[in-house]
Amino acid sequence: MADVELTPKFAPFFGMGGIAFAMIFGCMGAAYGTAKSGIGIAGVGVFRPDLIMKSLIPVVMSGIIAVYALVIAVLIAGDMAPPPGQHYSLFTGFMHLACGLSVGLTGLAAGYAIGVVGDMGVRSYMQQSRIFVGMVLILIFGEVLGLYGLIVALILNTKSRG
Amino acid sequence: MTTRRTAAQTAIPDTDNGSSSSGNIISPRASEKSNITPAVPSSVIAKLLGFTFAMITLPISTYFLSLNTLFSGNSTWAGASAAIMANVVLLSYVVVAFRDDQSERAEMMEQEKKAR
Repeated sequence: MADVELTPKFAPFFGMGGIAFAMIFGCMGAAYGTAKSGIGIAGVGVFRPDLIMKSLIPVVMSGIIAVYALVIAVLIAGDMAPPPGQHYSLFTGFMHLACGLSVGLTGLAAGYAIGVVGDMGVRSYMQQSRIFVGMVLILIFGEVLGLYGLIVALILNTKSRG
Repeated sequence: MTTRRTAAQTAIPDTDNGSSSSGNIISPRASEKSNITPAVPSSVIAKLLGFTFAMITLPISTYFLSLNTLFSGNSTWAGASAAIMANVVLLSYVVVAFRDDQSERAEMMEQEKKAR
């Protein structure tokens, strides 16, 4: 009876929700970052095509946000199995939900920051080349927000085999 | 419609005049080969394709390869190493982009020196 209380039938729902939230929110952030900075790169590339290579850095950083979300989604999916093989507890379900939400929503925040900074920074870089170092630094600090979410999700995930 | 038609009719004689007047000057060049080298050099395209491929495959393959070989099933460290690999790709991209710009600048400086 205690087993049923700790591992109810609906527990995997939350774990699956964690996987979905990680991918959905993380990719929303990555998509916004890519699209918004892509607008800026397209604007810059018309006037200074030689700057396109360096202007693509925000796009690569947005890709990394999506990689974080992908890593966590794969990690959670590896911990889940249908009931006869594994008794999925409610604690694990909530924990996986927290993993997915933390990496997904921080990815959304980081992607938004990268998009705004990438768009405006690339346009400013066209006029003043010294702004490049500052732009990359701001982008790194924006991208680190997503990394913090990944770290929290990884630490949470260690609790699944307690 | 009428305005469009008149615009088209006036536009056609213009182009005819242009081709007839400058046609004799242009026609000798038809035997020469036109410059069809792409605007973006192939080395840059190769770099971008390489980084795209690395970004797609490197982190996820690092996770699955190191999961059972390096970390003996500890998925946390495998996930962390996948994230590190993604950042390595980013760092190498920044380095390559920076170096590309410096080499371009050096070429421009040399050209300026030659011009003097």
